[in-house]
Amino acid sequence: MSFLGRGGSTPTGGVNPERIDMAVTELDTVTDFFNRMVSSCHAKCISTRYADADLNKGESVCIDRCVAKFSEVQKKVGEKLQNRGAAAASAGGAGSFTGL
Amino acid sequence: MDFSNFNAAEQAQMSKIIEKKQMQDFLKMYSNLVEKCFNSCCNDFTSKALSSKEEQCVMNCTEKFIKHSERIGARFAELNAEAMNAAQTPS
Repeated sequence: MSFLGRGGSTPTGGVNPERIDMAVTELDTVTDFFNRMVSSCHAKCISTRYADADLNKGESVCIDRCVAKFSEVQKKVGEKLQNRGAAAASAGGAGSFTGL
Repeated sequence: MDFSNFNAAEQAQMSKIIEKKQMQDFLKMYSNLVEKCFNSCCNDFTSKALSSKEEQCVMNCTEKFIKHSERIGARFAELNAEAMNAAQTPS
């Protein structure tokens, strides 16, 4: 997962703060995505009765599907935002990713 | 994630950052879990002590959450591995 890319080389032994920054941003993005997935799928799949410490069959299957679906939604939303961004750019707008 | 194209100094700094983040993440997870399990398990305030039923509920809640997040981690890793393979072998 290196969608942010990593460019530029560093003189050996030195630290390129830009590269570190980029890596930290990527790490934060992936961690945030994962944590949101954990809490969304917990809310949707896990019964709050807590009669049992184990995941039952239904919950397990639900989690598997939830993970797949969550990341599919991520892709779809990403595509949509990208298309909008491209459309805005070609329309002569600010052309930023966030431009609506 | 793959930091193999980082030099030694950068890798050292990255692992320091990762270690710090893991600690922060753990503490955040801890407080979230306390909130989640408290809200799911504790609804009777006629006593200040946790009843055995409440305690059992909290233990199950904690255990189940760990299993839940392990399972998500496993599926997530599979998904990433798939994406990596797809990126490496363009058809």
